[in-house]
Order: sequence, then structure tokens, then C-alpha cells
Amino acid sequence: MPEVTMVGAITMALARALQNDPRVIVFGEDVAKNGGVFRATDGLLERFGDTRVMDTPLAETVIAGMSIGLAAQGFRPVAEFQFLGFMYPALDQLINHASRLRNRTRGRLSCPLVFRAPMGAGIHAPEHHSESTETLFAHIPGLRVVIPSSPSRAYGLLLSAIADPDPVIFLEPTRLYRAQKEEVNDNGQGLPLDTCYVLREGRDVTLVTWGPAVKETLAAAQQLAAEGIAAEIIDVATLSPLDLDTILTSVEKTGRLVVIHEAPRHLGPGAEIAASVAERGLLSLQAPIERVTAPDTVVPLPRLEKAYMPSEKQIVEAARRVVTFS
Amino acid sequence: MKGDVPRAQKAPEPDAAPAKTDSVVAEFQIHRRNYLDAKGVLIGKPPAFASDSAIMKSLYRAMTLVRTFDYKAVALQRTGQIGTYPSCLGQEAIGVGYASVMNDKDVMFITYREQAAQIWRGVTLTELLQYWGGDERGCNYSGPREDFPVAVPIASQATHAVGVATAFKLRGEPRVAVCALGDGATSKGDFYESINLAGVWNLPAVFIISNNHWAISLPVEQQTATRTLAQKAVAAGIPGIQVDGNDIIAVREVVGEAFARARSGGGPTVIEAFTYRMGDHTTADDASRYRKAELISAAWKNDPLARLRTYLANQSWWSKEDEEALIAECKDKVEAAVAEYSAIPPPRPESMFDHLFETLPPALAWQRKKLTEG
Amino acid sequence: MKTFNLPDLGEGLSEVEIVNWHVSEGDNVVADQPLVSVETDKAVVEVPSPYSGRIVALHGKAGDIVPIGHKLVEFDDGAAGQQDKGTVVGVMPAAETPAQAPERERVSGARVKAIPAVRALARKLGVDLIAVDPTGPDGQITADDVKRYAQAMSEVGPPKPLHGVRRAMAHKMQQSHAEIVPASIHDQADVEAWIASGDPTVRLIRAVVAGCKASPVLNAWFNAQDMTLRMVKNVDLGIAISTDDGLFVAVMRNVDNRDDTDLRDGLNELKKDVQARSIPLEEMRGATITLSNYGVFGVGRSANLVVVPPQVAIVGAGDIKPRVVARDGQAVVRRTLPLSLTFDHRVATGVEAARFLKAMLVDLERSA
Repeated sequence: MPEVTMVGAITMALARALQNDPRVIVFGEDVAKNGGVFRATDGLLERFGDTRVMDTPLAETVIAGMSIGLAAQGFRPVAEFQFLGFMYPALDQLINHASRLRNRTRGRLSCPLVFRAPMGAGIHAPEHHSESTETLFAHIPGLRVVIPSSPSRAYGLLLSAIADPDPVIFLEPTRLYRAQKEEVNDNGQGLPLDTCYVLREGRDVTLVTWGPAVKETLAAAQQLAAEGIAAEIIDVATLSPLDLDTILTSVEKTGRLVVIHEAPRHLGPGAEIAASVAERGLLSLQAPIERVTAPDTVVPLPRLEKAYMPSEKQIVEAARRVVTFS
Repeated sequence: MKGDVPRAQKAPEPDAAPAKTDSVVAEFQIHRRNYLDAKGVLIGKPPAFASDSAIMKSLYRAMTLVRTFDYKAVALQRTGQIGTYPSCLGQEAIGVGYASVMNDKDVMFITYREQAAQIWRGVTLTELLQYWGGDERGCNYSGPREDFPVAVPIASQATHAVGVATAFKLRGEPRVAVCALGDGATSKGDFYESINLAGVWNLPAVFIISNNHWAISLPVEQQTATRTLAQKAVAAGIPGIQVDGNDIIAVREVVGEAFARARSGGGPTVIEAFTYRMGDHTTADDASRYRKAELISAAWKNDPLARLRTYLANQSWWSKEDEEALIAECKDKVEAAVAEYSAIPPPRPESMFDHLFETLPPALAWQRKKLTEG
Repeated sequence: MKTFNLPDLGEGLSEVEIVNWHVSEGDNVVADQPLVSVETDKAVVEVPSPYSGRIVALHGKAGDIVPIGHKLVEFDDGAAGQQDKGTVVGVMPAAETPAQAPERERVSGARVKAIPAVRALARKLGVDLIAVDPTGPDGQITADDVKRYAQAMSEVGPPKPLHGVRRAMAHKMQQSHAEIVPASIHDQADVEAWIASGDPTVRLIRAVVAGCKASPVLNAWFNAQDMTLRMVKNVDLGIAISTDDGLFVAVMRNVDNRDDTDLRDGLNELKKDVQARSIPLEEMRGATITLSNYGVFGVGRSANLVVVPPQVAIVGAGDIKPRVVARDGQAVVRRTLPLSLTFDHRVATGVEAARFLKAMLVDLERSA
């Protein structure tokens, strides 16, 4: 089995989808000839030709809108947006059309599309390349938001996203693209959407996270284990629709919850998780729910990047606080 | 373009005459077509179908039905039976014109003032009343199953049209994506991005601009500095042409040529059809706040129905009995649709969840259940 | 109002048939807008509006024959514009009355700090969180605190409210404690000379009278609000009488002017009435000083008793029994009567109290 990075796993999944389903087409800026600025589409043009893999003009709005037209006609478009920070012109099409087309035609037309974009900070990039605004999409009814945190999950979740009959926003943590290598079985098997993944079991505290912050959370759990605190780690994976049941089952066991995300604090997805657990799991809680997030500021330029992103230290301290809360 | 408001300021001319070393690298011309004048008299030799009484009468019948429906819809809004409604009064020739040249397998993308085209394409009057009455089931067209529903965000439908045109091209199908827009839409980024993509990818897409002179309260002279809207096609490297939008003969011919070009792989076209918005922007708008009555009076002289009726009468194809019969028939159809619409039971609250996704995720099932419990 | 009559449509027509109205009453129309289609001999023609304005009335319906020159449409004179709805879509509700300022809600103070799981536990165990001692940080009640309290409560009896005399006593003592500043002097009187045949309670009453004569300030009422002291001429002595139901203090009036027999009869009367619970309220009020003969129960050498406002003193008499005392330099055994005087030090000094007690001792040590 090949050992691949996350971006390599994404390429594998795209190739597998293009091969197995003639309806799949891949397009975006610099994805064909150049193989994508992060090489996520590397080699696909050569393998599948220019009627399956296409370079578009520099126009995010029409990239999004044409995906809707293609999807309504029975294609499975997988459009790449170069960075989450450049995806905002597509919001009009996503919110006003893609999320609603099935609903407003009562199922007559539908929108099986995938929009892929790198997200998050940590690669010392210039302004606007480090966004973590997944909450904007997760707030829209009718959209799915999926964020992988490992090569194998990137492979499986992307395949499922492409196969899904409804629109999926697939956000890929840029700083995890090459951070880890993992054996990934290129068997074309998708991983389930709409479900959380328990990455580590523990009795003392539940750590809920996704995407880029999974890395620091795993490291924090190691340190906590050395202190005798057994943390359970849940990778949300599909931010919306949210699998609250897995989180509630864990909180029932541990009584303590910390949510970690790189999105800014105010109205970040952690707020939804905290509110939902408070609604349905209140009597399991032995301590207040804590959120470890980026601050409510503009994403700083790279000199302050480290101070901005949630750190392993902050996660460990939060876990300690909730565990020792009497 | 002429109008009752001053034109936008032009950029100052350079001081010196052009240097002798300049060469002309591009020029453009925009043509305008017109066969039937405002009085219903032919200018020049029209295309063959103008001599076909069956076709011409069917066009007039369709336009009359549209207008009858439109008057009724406005009245229904006033009595609270439907919601906000955008009247298409005065614009009937464009929609009937282009829709009547489309094939069944072509796909249409519209803004919210295209009732004429929708009705020709087979959207039922009841479905129209349902949509404007606030019920999504009105977009589940029984007739044109692939046509997109009304796009309210201006020009956003242009991007869908080029996506569908791409699908046709990839599959090698001789089908056309027909995108109807208003004059205001030509200022939007969606429009430019779409015609640009259509041009560079040579897509089978035809963009039909109903220039009815008004974008709510902004007259078209204040919308753009270009002399015509058709010339925006030049920026995309595609053909652009103007037509008198109240002259159904010219509209049909120009549109037919554009469709033929698209079907044969000749690529996209932008058509600017002149007309006038005789009604207010919507039933909630009061156009007298920004528009003088004299302008509308003048526009009535260009009424597309009157000129076509005159033409038919002049050909001896249309009698007063035909007129009476048609009026009665249109009234009956509209009344029947109103009755059918009124009898439809209201949508159930839980139906809000029924087409959110193909399968409702378990995470949302409890919310749907709450609505069933009332 | 402007009236538009059916104009001459030419061709020598005298009348036409209305085919179809294009407008309705109430519509705003502009000049040249088609109002109605009418049928002439040859064709159906549209009749355009002569002016712009609002249509007030239409005359004739489809199918009617209208003669040329007949009234067709009436227009509103002058510009009657549409009412500006102030929107371009939808229907907006308009406020009719100005919004009221919101009412402020008063929230009362002290609340208990406990997390929801602990509150649920308290509910389950029937524990009132107000009563629980918090040991958590910042005054928070922990689950252990709740459990501890529940355990403790299970080992005591259920709470029973106090009633009647006992309840009254609790209130009175609480009130006294809140007001009075008590100080006490103790001593004992040698009663060997008369104890064999004398009446101790009557002798005590006579001794109290002697004390009041020596230190009248202890037979007075004190009003702490006004800081006023009212000296009383008579001695109305409160006698503490104990029953099964509780402590009663009945008042014997004018003890300074009554002889021994009268005192004894009066005492018996009071005791009887108290036992029978037939003592009127009047006879429990207005004591100027109180005597508590607690010694009759066979125990007690000194006591700090409770002064009941507005009184300023209470005399306590302990158990009469043989005690070793010093007489003429020898240790002898004599029957003695312990005395306690508790007084309100806001009103009386130690000297005044001592004088009172001394007078009592002298009186009690007389042989008769």
C-alpha cells in the first residue's frame, strides 16, 4: 500500500473518482496544466484529458455558477478554489443557488457538486491565504461541510463527497497537506459523511476538534496522558450536518468537554457544539464547556501566526482546568 | 442612448491627436434589426415565417394570453391572493419571440420578468401563481423539466447557463443554453464572467437582454457608459446585436440565427432587445416616484400587441370575432388557473425539510418531527 | 372628477360593444394607455386613456352596448398618487403606537452556586441547597457537600415547627439578645434562721421590693429608640412559672404594698390560673422586674438569666440547701439561698446592681 501525504491522497481520490465515474469533471484555476498550486490535481490532465480536467479563467463566481449548471445536467463537478480566502465571490452562488436548488424545485433539479479549497493558517503565506471561516458555509442549510485531518480520511471523505447527491464544501488544511504520511488503500472506498471519528479513547475529558487543529490536539493528548489524564479525541470531520450523538456519548462518559478549532471564537462551530451539548447533555457535565480557538481578530500576517493558532499548551491547560474543576 | 436624463460624463479626450505610429487593432460595429414598426407596418422584406399566418397568429395568441395573465396576477396581488409580483406588461414579444424558436431540449435560464417565455415553454399558469403565491411547488415544472427556476439575484443565472452549455458541449449535443437577463444585469460581474467564459470556451449559450429601460428606478443611461448593451459582447470577443424587442418578427429572426450558430458549434451570442417596462418594478414599487407619466404614455405607442394585431388585421388574418374569441379563451384559461391555484391545499410545514438533501440527515430529523407535532 | 365619454371612433358609428376592459377601478393609468377594447363593425379596437390619473369609475361591462358620447370612465381630479408603501418587495407591518420602554425586572439577591449536575443530585436527595455548606472554590457547592448534608439529615429527626408558648419564647429571647447588654452579680443569703418555717417565695418577693427601694433604677422601663428611662412607682413583679407547655411569666401587681398573706394567696391564684391556662393576657403584661425561682427544681447555684425588654433586671433564686460557709472564722454548715441578679448594663451600673443585691441579702438574712 502506498504511503502518501494528504495532498497525495486527495490526488488519488480524484483520480479514482474520474476513473470510476464518467460524470466526474475537475476544473478550476491552474488545475490542469500546472496540476494545481499545491499539486492536488497533479497528473490528472495527462491521464484523463482536457474534457475531464480543465483550466478555467480567473473567475470564482462563474466557476461556482457553472458547477451548478453542470451538476443540474447530471455531471459531478469537482471545482477547486485556490484558497478559502478567495472563495468568497462564490458565496452568492453557494448560498443563493447551490444550497437551494433541490429545495426550491422540490427535487426536480439538484446539485451534486464538490467545491475544494485549502484552508487554515500555518504555512507563512501572505494575507488572505490563511482563512478558517468554515462557519460561513456550515451555517447554510442545504450545504455539507467536510474537513479531513489525515491522508486516509482525506481519501475516503473526498470519495464520499464526490458521490454525494448534494453540494459539499471540502476544506483541506493546508498545513497538513504534507505534514504526515500514511498508508492509504486506493480501493475506491468512501468513508461515511455526517459522522464523527473517534481518534483516541479516554475516560477523563472529551476533546472535540477537526481539520488543522487535530494535530495539536493529538499532541496535547499525549502530554495529558503522561499527567494521568486520559483524553478522548473526536474528529468531527463533517461539520454540517453535525453528528452530535457521538459527542454526547463521549461527554456522558467523561463529563468534561473542550472544543478546539482554528476558526475565530465568536460564532465559530465550537459555539454550536457547546450550545447543543448544554441543551442535551447538561446533566452529564461536571465542568463548564471550554473552547480553545483563535482570537477574534483578523488573521495576522505570518510573524504572529503561531500566537494566533490554538497551541498544544492551550489545549493541555484547558483540559486540565475542566478535569480539576471540582 | 436617448433618454430623459443626462448622459453620464465622458472621460476627457487626450490633448494631442493620435500619434502617427498608432495602428487600429480592433473595431466593432453593432447592428440593429427591425421589421415591424410601431404602427404594425413592415419595413423591408421580412423572413419567411412572417408570411405564415398560422405561426403569426399563434404568436399573437400567446402574447395575449401572457398579458391577460399578467393583468390578473397584478389584481390577485392587490387582493392578497398572491405575494409581490413583477409585471411583464409591454415585454411580451421578446419572451414569446425567443421561446418559440427554442427546441424542447434547449434549456432556459431566466430572471423574474420572463413569464412570456415561461408560459410558451410549458410552465403552467397555475405553477406561476403558486411560485408568486409563495409555494416552492410552483418551481417543480411539469413541462420543461430541465429549465432553471427564476433567479432572483441579478445575473446569477448567466453562470448556470454557461455551466449547462459546457455540459452540452462536453456531450456533443446540439442544444442551446438560453439566458434571459435585464439591462441592469449587464453591470454585474456574473454577466461579464459568464460571457467571457462562453467566449473563450466557445459555448452554445445565447444571452438575451431585455432592455426595458429601467432597473427599478435607475434608467439605463445611468447604468453604463456604453452606447449599446449589445457591445458588451465585444469585451467577451463574441457577436452582439440589437433588435427592436417589441417587433416579434425581428426578435424571432435574430434569436433563430443565434441559436443556429450555437447549435453548429459557432459559439455564443449576446442579443439586446429593446422594449419598455410598462408597469412598476413590482406591485410593491411606486414608479411615479422616479418616472414621469409622459414616458409611459409615449411607450404605449410602441405596444407590441397592438402592432402585431394591426399587422394581422392588415394581412386579413384576424377578425373581430377572432379577437373576441381569443379574449374569452384567455380569460377562461386564466380563471381556470386561479381556481386551480386557490384549491391547492397549502404546503405542510414539515415539507421545509423534504428536499433539503436527497436524504434528510439524522441530525435534522428531530427538527422535522417538531414541525409535524405543530 | 373628470369624465371621459366614449369618443367618436369614426366610420359613422353611433354605438359600440364593450369587449374587454384592460383596467379596473382604482387603477392609476397614464395617457394613451389602453383602457378598453370595443367592437366596431369591422374590428376590435382599443380606446386609449385621454389623460393620466386614477380611475374612479368604469361605466359598462363586457357585452354592453355603449353609444358614442356616453360616459365611459371617470377619473380622479388632481394627482391622487399611490400611497408609498416604502418597500419594493413584500408587505411590511407599520407601527401604530410608539413602542413602550421595557419594564425593568427586579431580581432579588443571594443565589446558590452549584453546577447543574449537583442541583439535580440535590433534588433527587431532597436536599435544600440553601442549607448546604459549600466547600468548593468561590463558594460553590460540590456533589460531596450535598451528599454529606443528606447523610447528616438522615441521622436526625424530621424538622418540627415550634408553636405557641415555645415559639413565643424563642422570639422573646431572640429579641432580648438583640437588644439587652446583660451583666450579672451572684451571691448567697444565709436563711438558716427562718427556712424551717418560712415561705421562701414570699420572702424573696419582699427581698426584691427591698432591692427596688435601694436601687429604683432596676425597677424601670427602658426605651432604646428614644434613649428614655421610665422609673416606675410600684413593683409589678413578673413571676416565672414553668408548666408542661412551657415558660410563663405572670405578673403580680403592687407587690410592694401587699402583706405576706396577700402575696401567698396571690401566688397560689396565679399558679392555678397558669396551670389551667386560664390566665388572662393582661396578667402577663407590664412586669417592671422579674423573679425566676429556678432553684425549686433542686439544682443551680447561680445563673445568668435573660432580661426581657423593656425591663432592665431579672432576679434569679437558686436551690436552698446546706452549704459550708464561714462564720466567725469557722467553717459551719448553714442553709443558703443562691441569688443572681442580671441587669441591663446600658441602664444600670455595677454599683446600683450591687446595692440592689445587698439590700436583698440583708432582707433575706433577717429572721422574720
